[in-house]
Amino acid sequence: MLSGTHKGGIFIPNPYPVKSIRLYQAALPDKVVLPLNERMTEKAIPCVSVGDRVLTGQLIADNEDINSVPIHATISGHVISIDEQPIPHKSGLNTQCITIESDGKDEWVEGNITNKDFLQSDPNSLIELIHRAGIVGMGGAGFPTHLKLGLAQNCNTLIVNGTECEPGIMCDDALMQNYPREIIRGVEIMLHICGAERAIIAVENDKPEAFNSLLLYNYNDKISIEYVPTKFTSGSEKMLIKGLLNIEIPSGGFAIDEGVICQNIATVKSIFDAVIEGKALVSRIVTVTGDGVSMPSNYEVRLGSSFEHIVSKSKPNNGNHSIRMGGMMMGIDVETTDLPIGKISNCIFVNNKVQKEAPKECIRCGTCNQVCPVELLPQQLYWYSKSENTDKAVEYNLLDCIECACCSYVCPSHIPLVNYYSFAKALHFKKIEEQRKTDIARERFEYREYRLERNKIERAEMMEAKKKAIKEKMAKEKSQKDKISAAIERVNKNKKNNIDA
Amino acid sequence: MLDSVFIFSSLALLLGLILGYAAIKFKVSGNPLVEQIDAILPQTQCAQCDYPGCRPYAEAIASGEAQINQCPPGGQDGVDALADLLNIETMELNSEHGETKPKRVAVVDEEVCIGCTLCIQACPVDAFVGSTKVMTSVIADECTGCDLCLPVCPVDCIDMVEVKPTMRNFVPNISEVVNA
Repeated sequence: MLSGTHKGGIFIPNPYPVKSIRLYQAALPDKVVLPLNERMTEKAIPCVSVGDRVLTGQLIADNEDINSVPIHATISGHVISIDEQPIPHKSGLNTQCITIESDGKDEWVEGNITNKDFLQSDPNSLIELIHRAGIVGMGGAGFPTHLKLGLAQNCNTLIVNGTECEPGIMCDDALMQNYPREIIRGVEIMLHICGAERAIIAVENDKPEAFNSLLLYNYNDKISIEYVPTKFTSGSEKMLIKGLLNIEIPSGGFAIDEGVICQNIATVKSIFDAVIEGKALVSRIVTVTGDGVSMPSNYEVRLGSSFEHIVSKSKPNNGNHSIRMGGMMMGIDVETTDLPIGKISNCIFVNNKVQKEAPKECIRCGTCNQVCPVELLPQQLYWYSKSENTDKAVEYNLLDCIECACCSYVCPSHIPLVNYYSFAKALHFKKIEEQRKTDIARERFEYREYRLERNKIERAEMMEAKKKAIKEKMAKEKSQKDKISAAIERVNKNKKNNIDA
Repeated sequence: MLDSVFIFSSLALLLGLILGYAAIKFKVSGNPLVEQIDAILPQTQCAQCDYPGCRPYAEAIASGEAQINQCPPGGQDGVDALADLLNIETMELNSEHGETKPKRVAVVDEEVCIGCTLCIQACPVDAFVGSTKVMTSVIADECTGCDLCLPVCPVDCIDMVEVKPTMRNFVPNISEVVNA
């Protein structure tokens, strides 16, 4: 069944097509670099120190913060450093990383808890297990999975997103063709956790092999597998829900408000590994593609391996390359291949360097308006973002922009529109944060002024009261003195009278 | 003739009553201009403007006593915003009051701190926590980076550390955005 589709979006065929999807097991890397936090998670705190020997799957960093996920060693060997290293992130900032040098043995940590009878387990204990395995959304956003599942109990529909709609990426296709049994079982685990009545696995209609292999293993009547059109952004959460269920999630709303939860298919596979096998998230499938490599393929690779580790296996040519992590639309450009593969790295583009077209003036053609899948007004947003007028841009629903880059792709003037939007968003959030801090400072200052004033008044009142008390005491003493002297006088008088008599 | 006099005088009376009621009902308390100026000021409370805080400075601007270019933390953008609000010509930031510095936060060297509590008294936003003869600590989220605690510290154990952007709150450079 081919479901409906959403407005906008663009059809882009795979720019680097392959005859068949190949999945290779990448060799063990010599060393891995594991960042303590990725895109959406809080920093974990290392619980090993330099020189320690660690085993594959061993916990090496943890944090009690609910927004953080534990980090595990992905190879066995020795910790050689804990320091700031570059990671693939659009900010280009370094972050704290643990570097492990391999001893080539790949010894796994023992004593893992498995939950093969997951139907007998309490959903909350399964969520805790998933948290302990360090699982985040592996489609690219990297939202901690345990948080999403924690919110999703008692929802009605589970959507498993197997539509890597970005042209060129093949890692989920490879996953579905090679691990269909694990995926179906993973979906069953998720159904048990969130108590949904049905699960839909969405697959793009240009992936019949993946569709059929899933179909072959699906004996669960709650799970259905459906085709969605091969169109860019049909794999975006809100678009997918609209396409499959015809439910529109309003601006600022979440899928869970409508009783729907979306999970990436690679996340489902790692949930299987965590629950059934008792293994932490230590590897993922990454696509290496682009016109700079002669053999675009997929690699199942240990997290923390360098890009170079698998790029070199894809027979790159000798030219100068521009490297991009993530999709060709939404990915980020990076300078070198000497960066670690993270939980959210799904694809590495290796392209021959070409001079980029210089941006020209906007000619107000309106093409961007037609392709915007969220039905925003990219042109208006462009003007406001350019002039840093974030209030106005937000009024025009800047925050609903999914940064899919369809507008940049079709722009005849080659304006990098989406870069303006991500800039404007970052600026908006910065302004809000600054405003919050300013408000705190104002409140604190005014309260301090009030407190000082109050102290002054209280002090004055206290002094006043003391003075009064002393005066009263003095007055009292005076009256007593008077009485005494009167008594003495009386006595003296009596004495005198007696003597006279 | 008498009709129209009657109509208009009763109309005037009615409108007058409405106006009078509105004046009481929607009375603006305080000086709204001071509030507006105060909203633009950065609330660092650093007193570099020669007034004891942002609100006193806002009051001074509103009364015409102070110039709008005496706030270094607000920077030139702040001066421009004030000029815009007051509908006057903008001016250069007066460098006599100090330079605009990047956002900073106080950090106490815990080894050196002797617990004299002088910084607690100096802090305009109560961002220090501590007591006599125990180590003092800074609530980083509430520190405005005003530097007022630096001169009072007898052992120089307070450092002003620049706040670096993190991956979460990083804002790309607009010129890089254009040429990307």
